[in-house]
Amino acid sequence: MANSPQAPGGMSRRAFFKGTGAAAAAVGGIAVDAPEALAQEKVDAVAIGPGPVKIELTVNGTPITASVEPRVTLLDALRNYMDVTGCKRVCDRGTCGACTVMLDGKTVYACSMLALEARGKEIKTAESLYQNGKLDPIPAAFVKYDAQQCGFCTPGFVVSMRAAFDKNPNATPAEVEEALSGNICRCGTYTQMRDAIVSLCQAKKEAK
Amino acid sequence: MAATWPETRRLLGKETPRLDGPVKSTGRAKYTLDINRPKMLHGVILRSPHAHASIKAIDTAAAEKMPGVKGVLVMTPVGREVFYAGDEIVALAAETEEQAQDAMRAIKIDFEILPFFVDELDSMKAKVRTVGGKGDSNLTKPQTYEKGNVEDAYKTSDAVVENSYGASTICHQCLEPHGVIAEWDADGNLTVFASTQAVYGISTQLATKFDMPATKVKVITQHMGGGYGSKFNAGPEGEVAVSLAKMTGRPVKMMLDRYDEITVGGNRPSAFGKVKIAGKKDGTITAFEVSSFGTPGFKGGATVNFGLLPYVYLDAIENIKREHTVVFTNGGPARAMRAPGHPQNCILTEFAVEELSGKLGIDPLIIRRKNLPPNLDPEKQEKKDRNDWLTRRNTIYNQQLDIITRMCGWKEKWHQPGKGPKKGPWLHGVGMALHTWGGYAAGGDPNECTVRIAANGSVTAESSTQDLGTGQRGVTAIIVAEILGLNIEDITIRIGESNLGKSSGSGGSTTCPSQAPAALRGAVGAKEDLFKRVAPKLKVDPAKLELGIGKVIDTESKKEWTWKEFCARLGMEEAKSVGDWSLAMANDDKIPKLSSGQVGGVQVAEVWVDVETGVVKNTEFWAIQDCGLLINKLACESQVTGGVIMGVNYALFEERIMDRHTGRQTNGDMEFYKLGGIEDMPKINVYMQDMPERGVIGIGEPPTISTAAAIGNAIYNAIAVRVPVMPFTPDRVLEALAKKGAKG
Repeated sequence: MANSPQAPGGMSRRAFFKGTGAAAAAVGGIAVDAPEALAQEKVDAVAIGPGPVKIELTVNGTPITASVEPRVTLLDALRNYMDVTGCKRVCDRGTCGACTVMLDGKTVYACSMLALEARGKEIKTAESLYQNGKLDPIPAAFVKYDAQQCGFCTPGFVVSMRAAFDKNPNATPAEVEEALSGNICRCGTYTQMRDAIVSLCQAKKEAK
Repeated sequence: MAATWPETRRLLGKETPRLDGPVKSTGRAKYTLDINRPKMLHGVILRSPHAHASIKAIDTAAAEKMPGVKGVLVMTPVGREVFYAGDEIVALAAETEEQAQDAMRAIKIDFEILPFFVDELDSMKAKVRTVGGKGDSNLTKPQTYEKGNVEDAYKTSDAVVENSYGASTICHQCLEPHGVIAEWDADGNLTVFASTQAVYGISTQLATKFDMPATKVKVITQHMGGGYGSKFNAGPEGEVAVSLAKMTGRPVKMMLDRYDEITVGGNRPSAFGKVKIAGKKDGTITAFEVSSFGTPGFKGGATVNFGLLPYVYLDAIENIKREHTVVFTNGGPARAMRAPGHPQNCILTEFAVEELSGKLGIDPLIIRRKNLPPNLDPEKQEKKDRNDWLTRRNTIYNQQLDIITRMCGWKEKWHQPGKGPKKGPWLHGVGMALHTWGGYAAGGDPNECTVRIAANGSVTAESSTQDLGTGQRGVTAIIVAEILGLNIEDITIRIGESNLGKSSGSGGSTTCPSQAPAALRGAVGAKEDLFKRVAPKLKVDPAKLELGIGKVIDTESKKEWTWKEFCARLGMEEAKSVGDWSLAMANDDKIPKLSSGQVGGVQVAEVWVDVETGVVKNTEFWAIQDCGLLINKLACESQVTGGVIMGVNYALFEERIMDRHTGRQTNGDMEFYKLGGIEDMPKINVYMQDMPERGVIGIGEPPTISTAAAIGNAIYNAIAVRVPVMPFTPDRVLEALAKKGAKG
């Protein structure tokens, strides 16, 4: 599979088609294990659109359905069609990180992938970091150290930082900062974010 | 009611996390952009792709027939001109955003393209007016000012320096774009969710525009994703959304997309100036002359703060000559941006001051101390206030210079320009700059804050003011809790709705010095009202009642009630007071002074400059800020570090780049319009100079003023040549180094 073409989001085409099982089944179930690239292209071409199609996304553990045109990004589907607005639309071109969500545990810019591509994936937004009246330690540190002002970029930063610690619980402050290099804050809350990062890294150390 | 700030402070001045932090950081806070209303339509605006054109024909027929389209409105009719690429032409609303965008592309406009200029120098040379109005040029009549005689001073000075400096236009780049959701109900009430820093102001603006009773307009802004001075009115996008909502009978969401936000949503005007400065060996500045210009786009006003040039040192310099010309260009109109005119003033002044010290061969600290504005005699002041900044400014600046030079180790760090430490191609430099700002309460009608105490002991503070990310909710809660002997979380804060009393727009750092005294007066008034209502029921003298922490004490009988027990005696009543505050009240000798104004600050930057690549790294930064009475130390420091970071962006990264051939902005995005990330930022050290005797002063703006000038001076200190124009990008640094090399 090393040479198989990659769909956006780091999936192989094969995995991608498995994810779009509903569309594949609609044309006779030939696609999923078909070895020929040609057969796959054919499935791709007749699958869906251009009008609205019904999709189901799993957002923070809850399945949500909506009718969206295939051109609709994951970000717009979440915000405009599912009322999940923790991910913000800012640059809308994969630069600022305000729309960062986790897709099966990996961070993606929700503005830079189609909603269809996210079917069958576990989507997590910043809202998932508040459960049963309790803040996850990452947003809790943002609050404690005042690492937010207008707060519009903050959910994106929080998701990026959560993912960085999930990937490496022993991350150093420099490594966490690097993980945030795809996020931009306009109010200038980086100083307080550093305070939050240092305290979180320290807490991990002490917990060991 | 003679409310005063408490002498002993339990909650005031401590570090309090912002109240809306938990909802904002987990994406649960609803900003205007996040609000989806039932049956809501999505609006878009078709804008001019040309920098100057006359509209010959508009054909919306095809667009009107597109799927989902519910309403189309022409904003600039046939026969009229558009003056920049981004000027509004047609607005429409459709069921989905995708349908709205499709329909917009189906509109046909015939333009007659007219001459335009987007570059200041091109526009200055032109013999034609391209921005509307009368005349045959794009220039305003220069403002001029003269004091003493600069020519005589040059002859008798030890050193004269002449150079040109400039700051490019930058964009506000608010992360939440400008825009509204407008909704009419069957009774003719208008509700507008707006991304604004003037909730109350927009409600009166829209009531006037749509000729309706002011109380039938309700503007709501619970959370706001950045304004920085650019969001004081509903804008053409807000007004057209209200019209489209009326036309279609449906709520309409009209928010700018990113390109429009950058090109239309406001900018800080450019400023370029030729400066001549002269001084003596002891550091006295003998003369300062500046001839400057800048562009606010196709309309708008000042691009520097002319009256305050030369910045900070104005009152100490005897011979001054200045001239400033506003140059209109076919670009989006400038809007107020965090301390309008001041950063530009600071650059034009501080760059020259630094170079004069270089030519005189003295430590720039000496020249700054020597030319600070003098303290003024309190007896000669209108208000005879010994705490007034004007009577102490020399003292305060000197204290600040003492503190900051100790903090940063100036003595060890500073060196003659170009003579500092080296690490391979990296040269070290430090630089300094000073600033000043008002920060008084807002003028006009008083700001209001209503404090209500219910019979179940719950306390609510209400105001139409807004929290832009400054922590305004916390400010009010801290004050009310302090006065009533309660905890901060006991206070319910309701803000951001225009029907909650009068408030002013959040500009000029006026919000805290207007709202904090109003909250204090509201809390003290509510307490008095509570005592007055309950005392007769308990058969005690209201004048003998006192508040403890969570309790009420009768000082005569020594009897105590818990807060809840005492409030329960209200029965069916409510204790309430409307607190108010304004600039006029702050200046009224009969009212205890709760706010004042005028602050100063000093900032120092440490940089390393790579002379091979031209890259500048700002490694560490120091900022000292005087701030009157601190309400929330945590939020206050955030304002300072945030201001500094905005200044670092201004100095090193940000620039609006216009294409002279098409008249359009080439970097209307976030990829090529550069803003620094966390790894680009220096370590920032902050010192808040708390002066409670002065009352509350707003400091949202001052900390961003001198940052870029300090960084520019640090670069000069590193490489011994001025990089004249901001941002100090690698190409500009290398160009300056090449010129220096050519001169030998």
